[in-house]
Amino acid sequence: MHKKIKLSKSNLLLKVVAYVVMGLLAAMAILPCLHIISKAFSRGADVTAGNVVFWPKGFQLETVWYVLTKTPFLNALKNSLIVTIGGTAISMFTTITTAYPLSKPSFQGRKVFTLLYVISMVFFGGMIPAYMVVRTLGLIDTYAACILPFAIVQFNMFIVKNYFEGLPEEVEESAWLDGAGDIRTLTRIVCPMSTPVLATVSLLYAITYWNNYFHAMMYTKSAGMQTMQVYLYNIINNSQEFAENLASGSGFMANITSEGLVAATVTLSIIPIVLLYPFVARFMVQGITVGSVKG
Amino acid sequence: MMKAKQSIGRFFRYVRRHPMMYLMLIPGLFFLFIYKFAPLYGILIAFKDYNIFAGSNPIDAIAKSPWVGFANFERLFRSSEFVKVLANTLIINGMKILFLFPIPVICAILLNEIRNQAFRKLSQTAIYVPYFFSWVVVFGIFYSLFGSYGVVNNVIAALGHARIKFFTDTGIFRWLLVFTEGWKEIGYNTVIYLAAITGIDIALYEAASVDGANKWKQIWHVTMPGLLPTIVLMFILKVGYILDTGFEQVLVFYNPAVYDVADIIQTYVYRLGMGQMDFPLSTALGLFNSVVAFVLIVSANLVSKKLIHRSIW
Amino acid sequence: MRKRQAATGLLCGVLAAGMLACNAQADGSELKGPGNVTIKRLGYNVAFDPNADVMADVIKDTTGYDAEYYVLPAENTDEKLVMEVAGGADYDCIQVSPNQFQILMSQGALLGLNDLLDTYGQDIKNGMSEDTWRAASDSDGTIYGIPYKYPYDQEVQGFMACRWDLMQAAGITEIPKTIDEFHDCLVKLKDYYGDQYIIFSGPYLSGSEGNGTWVVPESLACAFGIYSDWMVDEDGSVYYMTEADGFKDMVEFLSKCNEEGLIDPDWVVNSASTVCEKFSGGKSIITSINRNGLGTTVPAMLETLGISMDDLNYIGALKGSDGTCKFMKTEAVNQYTVILKSSENAADVVNWINLKEQNQLFINIGEEGVHFNYAEDGSIEPINPIFADERGNSYWYIDSTNEEEFKKEWPARVRKSEAQWAGFEAVTIKANEETPEIFVDNPFAFKPATEKYSKYNTALSNSLNDFILQIISGTKSYDDLETFQSDFEAKGGEEVRTELQDWYQSFYGNK
Repeated sequence: MHKKIKLSKSNLLLKVVAYVVMGLLAAMAILPCLHIISKAFSRGADVTAGNVVFWPKGFQLETVWYVLTKTPFLNALKNSLIVTIGGTAISMFTTITTAYPLSKPSFQGRKVFTLLYVISMVFFGGMIPAYMVVRTLGLIDTYAACILPFAIVQFNMFIVKNYFEGLPEEVEESAWLDGAGDIRTLTRIVCPMSTPVLATVSLLYAITYWNNYFHAMMYTKSAGMQTMQVYLYNIINNSQEFAENLASGSGFMANITSEGLVAATVTLSIIPIVLLYPFVARFMVQGITVGSVKG
Repeated sequence: MMKAKQSIGRFFRYVRRHPMMYLMLIPGLFFLFIYKFAPLYGILIAFKDYNIFAGSNPIDAIAKSPWVGFANFERLFRSSEFVKVLANTLIINGMKILFLFPIPVICAILLNEIRNQAFRKLSQTAIYVPYFFSWVVVFGIFYSLFGSYGVVNNVIAALGHARIKFFTDTGIFRWLLVFTEGWKEIGYNTVIYLAAITGIDIALYEAASVDGANKWKQIWHVTMPGLLPTIVLMFILKVGYILDTGFEQVLVFYNPAVYDVADIIQTYVYRLGMGQMDFPLSTALGLFNSVVAFVLIVSANLVSKKLIHRSIW
Repeated sequence: MRKRQAATGLLCGVLAAGMLACNAQADGSELKGPGNVTIKRLGYNVAFDPNADVMADVIKDTTGYDAEYYVLPAENTDEKLVMEVAGGADYDCIQVSPNQFQILMSQGALLGLNDLLDTYGQDIKNGMSEDTWRAASDSDGTIYGIPYKYPYDQEVQGFMACRWDLMQAAGITEIPKTIDEFHDCLVKLKDYYGDQYIIFSGPYLSGSEGNGTWVVPESLACAFGIYSDWMVDEDGSVYYMTEADGFKDMVEFLSKCNEEGLIDPDWVVNSASTVCEKFSGGKSIITSINRNGLGTTVPAMLETLGISMDDLNYIGALKGSDGTCKFMKTEAVNQYTVILKSSENAADVVNWINLKEQNQLFINIGEEGVHFNYAEDGSIEPINPIFADERGNSYWYIDSTNEEEFKKEWPARVRKSEAQWAGFEAVTIKANEETPEIFVDNPFAFKPATEKYSKYNTALSNSLNDFILQIISGTKSYDDLETFQSDFEAKGGEEVRTELQDWYQSFYGNK
């Protein structure tokens, strides 16, 4: 471990740079977020006065409690979780099964199929025919309608394909010689070796489903089917009326202001997806599987 | 002739040996055709005087609406503003690529050097959080901070300087767009590069280390080559979509005082067709953007094949 | 090419099956009666779930009909509406804006209602004036929608609220009544407070009610004789805001104010919410606002700033240097409920709306002694908080009204909020009592939605607003009017003018 002093000095410099730069970037990223998060937990009066900067003033939980219990937040959460989990599972299936053949240089027809994905990545028919497809399949107002648009995202498929291409050829060849078929090779050898990228791409899919507003808005119509983003946009667009009505009703709580309401809803809505990251990051570890298989 | 026969022979031999490889493609192709290729029929709207009520349903209406040739494209290109908004689009998105593209790569490499797991996870998650705020919310945050009477300007004023008009100064506004884009997107892109780093064979580092390469050299000779396919893929796509990105951000951030520097093609067409549901115009714009993107992506891919022997397909 | 054909073939195949059902012409002229149908009603975007609100039960109990409610999205509203309607959505009735009404009507998507109204909708029919009905009819007299007229004829919708405590401290003793007094007042405040406060913040952009958005506060534009984007002169010819005599003075007044630092430097950036934020946060002294804005900001700001209602004051319609003022009446049809041709329950929908109108007071305001009391002068005083709790959202469910009755009932809805009522009293009621001559007719109040207007006017008024904002911010000047003019023509301005002129002549010429 301890080799040359010169070497470790320059390595130390890199470490320092890494800690300082990432620390600064993290601070820059999180400070503006704190602004909105703080508003969610601050006294209504301080929120309207613009006193809240990066830390809550006059801590309160009424606004958050109100969002959780008196608005359709939980229903939207349920819908988004179903779409995100179900969608990610379907997408991962199609992505892996597509990326694997396309990653094999010997695969006949590789160019043509890949080109299909490149073309479809670039050209769109527009929202009317897409809506009509969903409608004709009878999927309007269903979870499936929110999943269909991202059942396979070309970009994600290319990432997985890139990764598969980088895997050492010998491992699969030996599996093939042992009599394992393509499916077995994929599920028993290739996928376990690719845990990091599969975890990451699942995360990318989960993010796409979670963040999707446009398709959910177009393809659902009943209030019960609102996903998190649709619900969030409704709150953002109507927060004034919301707060105004509260102001004269029995639910009057001085702490609930239109800004605070938006801040609380936004904050609550990102918690699940943000928490997912550290969880997935656990699988994003370099080299473990490749090394162990080889060793 | 011989050659063709040979390759056909090779094809059938492969199919016989690997039938599962083709079966595997079916789920992906199924969704591709249903949701991506079937709706391409709608591109015809760009060449029609489309009236959504013209037929028994919106698809039938495409067939029943009259052809107008390239009239919709003419409307798009002939307007006096088009050159200006095209230039703005290229400048703004060009600035974003130039200044923001390398950052996630650097972040991923640096994060990889951090051995303290708690710090690594924390900073990694921190830069990723902003991605989940929609542009409306991002505007709200940044206006509170950078508005004429926002937090930053109050400090500036308290120090005795003139307030800076971040949102209305034509010299500053594009930088505001670049900065907020970076703030929101860097963490997300870092995730993609982090995934690519995990694919690099650890043995390569060990070998380099044995050869006496320090960490900087290892980054240059092992990490970078390992990241190259992903970098190329990302870069090709970024360049390809140069006309097609930034709409939501600009729409939320800009205002009439900065139209001269901030109005991009999509915001311009948005205002042009406001309240008119101009499906043909937006379809024409979409098709134009697609063709440009396709040409750019294909040629960028060619260049990358020539220069660094890397292709995305 | 092969690919395109394959794609087309695939799409047609997929679509063919589902499309057959959509074409069947429904027959909804038979009354099925309460309990036998579920009415599906689509309305504009709101944040609450209309099925879960207490109003859904109130209406069900009152009419006996089951109803399911749906809301349109806040963005891409028109696109989603036409896609759903053209694609064969199964809504029975839809609450639409005048523009949406025009689109659906001109495309033949709507059911003619004359017979149904005669049979099942007598109360609806008799509740509205002939002018209101004309706004919902085509030239042959076929009624295609149930119109809803704004319930208050002469309201000063856009006005200014101000911090009276700060103004008095600066030595101001009277609320300005003319544009010159207003300017003096701004200057005085600037001299006194310098950079400490934003002297005058705006614009309050609110498209939710009445006459669209104003980047110049209505109460200030009126001093320059400007009261709408399209106006009519004494000879009956239609002209645009930029052609008004006072337009130059108005925009130059504002750009001068901007140069002098009297108005919010972020005037071009502001939205309704940032303007409210600055006022309630104690950063601005005078602000453009409307009733709803007061309702949301005032309760919180009183606590924040430790002030009372007496520390607030209101500036209404300002008079010009010559003592004149033109403020447009709010009387206009601004919403319709339409029934789709494909509805199988048309008769029941009309019957349902009729039943709702028969119980208008109960549904919209509530029960005497529970939700409201009658004051001595006969006006209605809501009892809070139950009024806000149980009738707060009733506005979304309205389809038709008995206009005369509703005119008397509606102010109760303003009264539910002390802050709203204070502004309403100080500005609207005062103007009605003291200076009713300022109100001018909305020349197009009863204009049915027309093709060119629906198509072009949104983009036109948007570019007008942009032009004004650019002048205020100093990016452009009044001399750029020529560029605007050519842009105006390119955007269909002249076609709209011709259309409005023709309608005006035919409507008032025959009267």
